Amino acid sequence: MSDNVEKYIKRKVYKSTNSRIAQKFVDAGLEKLRACINCGTCTGGCPSGRRTAYRTRSVLRRALTGDESVLEDIGIWFCSTCYTCYERCPRGIPVTDMIIKLRNIAVEEGHILDPHFVLANKVFYVTGHGVPANGEGNQKWRDLRESYGLPPLPPTVHMHPEAVKECQELMKSVGFRDLLDKIEKQKEKEKLEAEKAEANKIEDKKKEKEKK
Amino acid sequence: MTESDKKINITENDKPKIGIYVCHCGVNIGGVVSVPDLVEYAKTLTDVTVGHDYKFLCSDVGQKMIKEDIEAGLINRVVVAACSPRMHEPTFRITCKEAGLNQFLFEMANIREHSTWVHMKEPEGAYEVAKDLIRLAIAKARELEPLTVQKVNVEPTSLIIGAGITGMNAALNLSSAGYKVYLVERSATIGGHMAQLDKTFPTMDCSSCILTPKMSEISRDKNIELLTYSEVTEVTGYVGNFEVTIKKKPHYVDQEKCNGCGICVDPCPITVANEFDLGLSTRKAIYVPFPQAIPSQYTIDMDSCVECGICARETVCEPGAIKYDDKPEYFTVKVGTIIVATGYDEYDPSELKQYGYGKYPNVITGLQMERLLSSFGPVLGKPVKPSDLKDPHSIAFLQCVGSRNFREGGNKYCSRVCCMYATKQARQYKEKHPDADIYIFYMDIRAFGKGYEEFYESAGRDYGINYVRGRIAEVRENPLNHNIIIRAEDTLLQQPIELEVELFILSTGIEPRADSDSITNLLRIQKSADGFFLEAHPKLRPVDTLTEGIFIAGVSQGPKDIPDSVAQAKGAAASAIALMAKGEVEIEPFFAVVHSDRCSGCGMCIENCAYGALELVDDRRFGTIASINKALCKGCGACSGNCRCSAIDIIGFSSEQLYSMITKRE
Amino acid sequence: MSKNSKWKYGFFLGCVAPNRYPMIEASIRAVFDHLGAEILELEGASCCPAPGVFRAFHIPTWLVIAARNLTIAEELGIDVVTGCNGCYGTLRDAWVELNHEPELKKMINEHLAKIGREFKGSIEPKHVVQVLYQDLGIEYLRGFVKHKFKDLKVAVHYGCHIIKPSDKRPWGGEYEDPTFLDEIIEITGAKSINYKDKFQCCGAGGAVRTAVKEISADFSREKLENIRDAGADIIIDCCPFCHLQLDLGQMEANNFYKDIIGEPYKIPVIYVTQLLGLAFGIDPNLLGLMKNHDLQQVPPFISLEPFLEKVKNQLT
Ligand SMILES: Cc1cc2nc3c(=O)[nH]c(=O)nc-3n(C[C@H](O)[C@H](O)[C@H](O)COP(=O)(O)OP(=O)(O)OC[C@H]3O[C@@H](n4cnc5c(N)ncnc54)[C@H](O)[C@@H]3O)c2cc1C
Ligand code: SF4
Ligand code: SF4
Ligand code: SF4
Ligand code: SF4
Repeated sequence: MSDNVEKYIKRKVYKSTNSRIAQKFVDAGLEKLRACINCGTCTGGCPSGRRTAYRTRSVLRRALTGDESVLEDIGIWFCSTCYTCYERCPRGIPVTDMIIKLRNIAVEEGHILDPHFVLANKVFYVTGHGVPANGEGNQKWRDLRESYGLPPLPPTVHMHPEAVKECQELMKSVGFRDLLDKIEKQKEKEKLEAEKAEANKIEDKKKEKEKK
Repeated sequence: MTESDKKINITENDKPKIGIYVCHCGVNIGGVVSVPDLVEYAKTLTDVTVGHDYKFLCSDVGQKMIKEDIEAGLINRVVVAACSPRMHEPTFRITCKEAGLNQFLFEMANIREHSTWVHMKEPEGAYEVAKDLIRLAIAKARELEPLTVQKVNVEPTSLIIGAGITGMNAALNLSSAGYKVYLVERSATIGGHMAQLDKTFPTMDCSSCILTPKMSEISRDKNIELLTYSEVTEVTGYVGNFEVTIKKKPHYVDQEKCNGCGICVDPCPITVANEFDLGLSTRKAIYVPFPQAIPSQYTIDMDSCVECGICARETVCEPGAIKYDDKPEYFTVKVGTIIVATGYDEYDPSELKQYGYGKYPNVITGLQMERLLSSFGPVLGKPVKPSDLKDPHSIAFLQCVGSRNFREGGNKYCSRVCCMYATKQARQYKEKHPDADIYIFYMDIRAFGKGYEEFYESAGRDYGINYVRGRIAEVRENPLNHNIIIRAEDTLLQQPIELEVELFILSTGIEPRADSDSITNLLRIQKSADGFFLEAHPKLRPVDTLTEGIFIAGVSQGPKDIPDSVAQAKGAAASAIALMAKGEVEIEPFFAVVHSDRCSGCGMCIENCAYGALELVDDRRFGTIASINKALCKGCGACSGNCRCSAIDIIGFSSEQLYSMITKRE
Repeated sequence: MSKNSKWKYGFFLGCVAPNRYPMIEASIRAVFDHLGAEILELEGASCCPAPGVFRAFHIPTWLVIAARNLTIAEELGIDVVTGCNGCYGTLRDAWVELNHEPELKKMINEHLAKIGREFKGSIEPKHVVQVLYQDLGIEYLRGFVKHKFKDLKVAVHYGCHIIKPSDKRPWGGEYEDPTFLDEIIEITGAKSINYKDKFQCCGAGGAVRTAVKEISADFSREKLENIRDAGADIIIDCCPFCHLQLDLGQMEANNFYKDIIGEPYKIPVIYVTQLLGLAFGIDPNLLGLMKNHDLQQVPPFISLEPFLEKVKNQLT
């Protein structure tokens, strides 16, 4: 194939709105989005869009038109859930809630950033807190509490191991544990593949050098 | 006796022979349920002698089918199962009449609106509902009796409420056809909103130039009794014979004596915001709304006046017109028809805080811009920014403010004039300031009228106005210079943008009058979901209301521009003329009747009747009993439903007829 | 203070306040006690869970854990109060959704049944500021003011989730320009100044901070710039996570964006009950306003000294 074909011919096929992800959208109650008039009020007032490549309207439109690549777009994690767009949409679309549902679908498809995954899997699931003060590395936070006359640990899950169990029980019951396990496996697999690919590359380079 | 019973005489002893005709209405009914099956079902019911279905029963062919059966003596009752009686009951009544059958021996079952439209997705259920409705109609048809229509005279006089461009045009049309008109306007001048406009799209003729001649024509017209600063306070009666009470508010200036010299204005110590200029200028407590106002006599705004007595001095008001103890006057007139042309309010954008109206001085509304552009406005047609009274070098318009907004506080509909007036105002400013940067932020540009698209195209091509597709999300003020910083998305670029302009104009939409409920209560007409007055049929009866003899026109019926308003004014005038020209109208004989033998004379019905149609009388045979004034009765049934003795029936909806609908099961 | 107070709340701590900014927790406890509003502990409560992260990962998890937290207060039969916008957002949104959608409530209760709990919806989750403004009331608070600040210019930062989504908040639908927090602050004599984009987000929420700190820091940078331009002495907030972002994030902004900000920012950040407490005459130590100099790498990262110096003379 000619290089120019590769370089310049960009055929775009407009997918129907009935794709798998669009269907997931509808199942998640996102069909409300069909009332969107693409006015751009959401993007126009978005504090995140002012400094990043995240475009509220475009992201939702891509999802609605079945563009699955939106799930891998890191931009969807740049919404600070400030609800400005939600309040102002002239069509009454709960925009922020839509973004949150879109993220849910992304996670379900395994697209979750490493730090977010660690936070869910290694911190929240294990301790019941998103920002814990127990455990070894956190002595200074307990000291800080005491310096203000508070007990070293708060009377939350930190003081109640049985409460942590309760939370974990619930997370299993709603399927979060399974989801985390699925993602963990996927992440490991991806990591292995990436390592393999890296190794192959080095191997190839070596061979090339040897040839020369 | 009138036209009925022309051929066929029906007596109580005649056995009912019912013909049932079921319409497919194209696919509206036929596409959902099996119409032939409905006919077969109906034919199994008692007294049904004939049954047919047809694609469009309302067509000539369909009607002919019914007529032939009547003429052949096969039937003496007709039931049509089709659309809403509001649509075609009159059609089929005429069919019956023409075939010689009394038109009230007809009954309609609405199996479209009440079944196949609403239950489109459940055809089986729809079929059951349709069957029920047909069975009900047949049960009632069996009990129908021939009735005679009533005729009443029509007073050849019209009342028009509101003297904007719509009401004025309707008045002139009626007058030129020779009818007397009472033109009631509540403000101190006629002209309405059009008087506030500078030029008018798309032809750019100056608003005053086309309006002022009409205004003076009105004031000169002998057939038009102009009642400004007046309001309608009560309406009774019915089509052809309305009794209207009008209140003339006190001007506190004798309108006969005042010669409009205006010498009183300067000495008056009280200055208030001028509502005609939407607060962009001031006026005195003694004022005329604007220089070309008609009538040109002065009025004292008593809410602001301190009665200092200065204007009453002989040195000030030579003719001695000032009259602090002026009182309102009430009087009653009789009219045959009424036209409502009360217009609209501009949407108030203060609640949309993200746009800073009322907070930042350089944010104004479209109507305010109209005043700024007006050659007799507060800045004599040279728009300035309110913060420093200098010409703005950059202006942004935001479209659809308060319109097409499905959130609470917004209006869902399109206001239909703002795209065009923004384009007009932008062009006007560009004409005088070719170097100014002008942006119009829009979601869609609606330029649908004659010459409008061309007007819009030229705004870009010839005037260099920038159209940006995106609805502004929020604005901030630059504290240093009061400029407005706009944030929006250019949706076609998919980029958020930030833009600083010197003047920000909100293309605010049109709303029903805040007090339009007072009109609906007064006239017993309805409003549609958008809050504007409801027409009898959106396509076929656009200026009629469901109350006979009352018409609506102009923006009071829904957002529209001047050409459409005037067209409706003419339509309403023509409809009123058509009614009055006949000299008499038929009214449906659906009033209440009292069964004297059952009435105990308790008088409860009198309390229940909202129209004062009932009174207690002494009867030789039955003692004290209720009696009905047919002219006042609207057939609403409030009396009948509440009568403990079942002594009142509504003709055409008698207890027997309704019972048989409910109870007759086959 | 009386322990039979008519105001009694279960104190929902969340994560950031107790585990990173305990001075906030201390000041809420001190001020509530001073005002005669009783606080009970919600033993065994967990992360709310955070709306921007856990809700964004898996809505059912978010909902069921939030419901569990609410059941702890339901057992005590008292309303919940939280000092954190994020916790407030989660608890209130979950509370509204569960009360409005019977199907959802049924589903969640099926899960809760497995740990012997049931969500009833009988108590209301409230924000500290909501309790101060709506339950106690401005006039009541005013009666406690002992010291009035003079010439103290305050940049009020509301944060997002205390106001929005407005249909699930108690402020009568107001979302563009509410004033309840300014009104509370101004009873101390401090002046709430206007600054550009006052209602802009701090940038921490919605999982952004965990994803890319530089983005959150850029949100904060813009806010701090506007606040500095307006000449504020201090920032007052009502959310520990915003507080973290404006305090720690101020350091981060100073670091990431040193090329464009000129002078580094050093605007003291103070939680609403810390300021109120001072005006009420509560010991600054109890309000967590005095820094413990033995501990390293702990907040406040931006020194409060200039503020304390400024108001020192007004506290006697
Ligand atoms: C900013 C702006 C610019 C516009 N520019 C154009 C343009 O360039 N070209 C164009 O075609 N259209 C334009 N329009 C639209 C135009 O204003 C309307 O189409 C037209 O004015 C409608 O006239 P109307 O008589 O129906 O209503 P109105 O002008 O509102 O008149 C109604 C009258 O009824 C009176 N009234 C109300 N209630 C009562 C009552 N209860 N009793 C007695 N009297 C009552 C009022 O005082 C008023 O005088 C513009 C609109 C706006 C907002
Ligand atoms: S604000 Fe609403 S209607 Fe406008 S583009 Fe965004 S989602 Fe669509
Ligand atoms: S909620 Fe998210 S998408 Fe909406 S304006 Fe805020 S940051 Fe932007
Ligand atoms: S009496 Fe009233 S209208 Fe006349 S000058 Fe005094 S304030 Fe003006
Ligand atoms: S006419 Fe134009 S500006 Fe006015 S509501 Fe319709 S689309 Fe919006």
